[in-house]
Amino acid sequence: MDPFINDLVAYWPQILTGLQRTLMLMVIISVSGIAGGVCVFYLKLVKNKTLRKWTEAYISFFIGTPLLVHLFLMYYGLPQLGIRLSAFTVAVIGFTLNVSAYNARYLTTAYNGLDKSELEAAHAQGFTHFETFHLIILPQVMRLSVPSLTNQVIQNLKDTSVAFLIQYHDFFAQMQEIAATNFHFFKAYMTATLVYLTLVSVVVLVARRMERSIALPGFET
Amino acid sequence: MTFWDILIILARGAGYTILVTVASVSAGLAMGLFLAVLSTIRWKAVSFFLAAYNYVFRSVPALVLLFLVFFGLPGLGIRISPFVSIVLSLGLISGAYLAEIFRGAMAAVDQDEIVAAEASGMNSMQIFLYIMFPQMFRMSIPGMINEFTSVLKYTPFAYTVGIPEIMKEAMSLAVMTLRGLEIYLAVGIIYFIIYRLFVMLFMTFEKKFRIPGLAPE
Amino acid sequence: MALIEVRNLVKKFDDKAVLKGINIDLHQGNSKVLMGTSGCGKSTLLRCLNLLIQPTSGQIIFKGEDITRPGVDVRKVREDIGFVFQHFALYRHLTVEENVTLGLRKIKKMKSKEAVEKASHELNRVGMFEHRNKYPAQLSGGQKQRAAIVRALAMDPAVLFLDEPTSALDPQMSREVVTVINKLFLDNITMFCVTHDAFLAKYISDSIVFMDDGVIVAEDIAERLFYESVDPRIKQFFLSVIDHR
Repeated sequence: MDPFINDLVAYWPQILTGLQRTLMLMVIISVSGIAGGVCVFYLKLVKNKTLRKWTEAYISFFIGTPLLVHLFLMYYGLPQLGIRLSAFTVAVIGFTLNVSAYNARYLTTAYNGLDKSELEAAHAQGFTHFETFHLIILPQVMRLSVPSLTNQVIQNLKDTSVAFLIQYHDFFAQMQEIAATNFHFFKAYMTATLVYLTLVSVVVLVARRMERSIALPGFET
Repeated sequence: MTFWDILIILARGAGYTILVTVASVSAGLAMGLFLAVLSTIRWKAVSFFLAAYNYVFRSVPALVLLFLVFFGLPGLGIRISPFVSIVLSLGLISGAYLAEIFRGAMAAVDQDEIVAAEASGMNSMQIFLYIMFPQMFRMSIPGMINEFTSVLKYTPFAYTVGIPEIMKEAMSLAVMTLRGLEIYLAVGIIYFIIYRLFVMLFMTFEKKFRIPGLAPE
Repeated sequence: MALIEVRNLVKKFDDKAVLKGINIDLHQGNSKVLMGTSGCGKSTLLRCLNLLIQPTSGQIIFKGEDITRPGVDVRKVREDIGFVFQHFALYRHLTVEENVTLGLRKIKKMKSKEAVEKASHELNRVGMFEHRNKYPAQLSGGQKQRAAIVRALAMDPAVLFLDEPTSALDPQMSREVVTVINKLFLDNITMFCVTHDAFLAKYISDSIVFMDDGVIVAEDIAERLFYESVDPRIKQFFLSVIDHR
């Protein structure tokens, strides 16, 4: 049998672990990224002008600089301050900060498209700033942002491969090892490519289904 | 070595970063345009090819593709230089996204104008050159700016294939001085500056070409 | 004592004075309509009364309490004032019924069942009960405005404010809404309405207040103001908005 296939079979447990670690990272940062995105988005709407400016600066910085820089900064930079974090921790925190910024930007774009008179009506009814946010703004903004948010989840899946550069032993890292041990570089990377393609397809299917189930008249995308 | 010194050393790599970015985006633009024009052909095989291309290059992680091209292809006897590898990888990927942007822009051009052009006797090439392209290009500018910044943020991967851009300089420096925090902070600042400068450049460029009534969508 | 008393209300935006000293009263059961040229300040006045806009100076006494003093409970004031907007402002992501019950549940703290009952009752009064599960995007302009009126009234406010309620509607739908508001008028609901629709004004007012350039010029019943006024500003205005056939 083909020596590469032999290797795949031999390394199967490790590959599986690698896949688990990839998916786990993706799920964690997708969830924390959305939660973080909502929080950052809220901060963009508070009354305090300074807070809003700093929030915008945070968003600008994380969107305007490469993800790898954020990860390296934490993984290779923090030790200079005596803080040594595991690759996993760095990945989770770094990705979350990054993804939250993007999600906040998508939510803000959707917010700018809202009918502002609805907000006036909410205030006229007597709702507080926070109540208006979670009863009127958030439900609409989340629905309008679903395509962007689901695209971000797909992006998260792809970006997990970057984590291997800070020694996070994910699926891609595992395929690297297999490639390096027996020089099956092409086959290994081709397999990796196909696996990612499949995973992305699954996420896309789930995302489309979800988009359909939450659609409301007036919110067709 | 002060923080300023660090910045200067890292800035040496900025030249390569910009070179890789510009080359990759150009490749992406060419590819995207090609695919967009291809999409006007109503041939089943072509549509299938486009759908497949789109699917593959929007699903594969950039890093994985880069490794496949640079480390994998030699296994098939195809050896590609580091520079071409990164430009090819990023070009193919951003080409997929730009193709979508261009297709959307093309669809937004008023069909009536095309018909009017046909009626006046222009052939397909002329219609594309004088009517379709100028409008489509202007409407794609925001998308192109977006894609440009995306590519810029993928260029750090170039260090893995040995290109001496900012990230590579940073890593050597970090190993030597152990001042990772300042170094990577400086890296972030430099990327941010490059990003901001390019956006400003594009905005001024866009202003020059703006036409009233033809707002980018 | 009047329900609302306004004393020397002034509102400046930067240096521009939009309201230049308004004095007006609204008694319970009474309905007044504010009319005037664009930019005369009528919408601004309405929004000052429920503190959507902060007055620059002057007093607003609502139910015996000065609501312009610092430390006033704005939410309590707004609970008691129903507001209907020109462009309906219904919450797009909620059904008609949910739009009405939201305030009842979250502000008046009613239980869901109670709120739904109250909403059903009020929607029935304006003929919107059959549309209660529809979303705003599925309604016509007239239906949207009727729903918006119910949303405001269901809170049992002391007074109803309406800002150009028919201006975004075509003539047929406008008539639909005028009929509804007229019913409210005949039921002695206390109302303050801003509009340039003279037809509406005639059917829902005890008196009409004419404003020009930030001040109140005159107050009188509809017929006299429309047809018998000698003030050139008023004559000019009504010449352009009334169908003098």
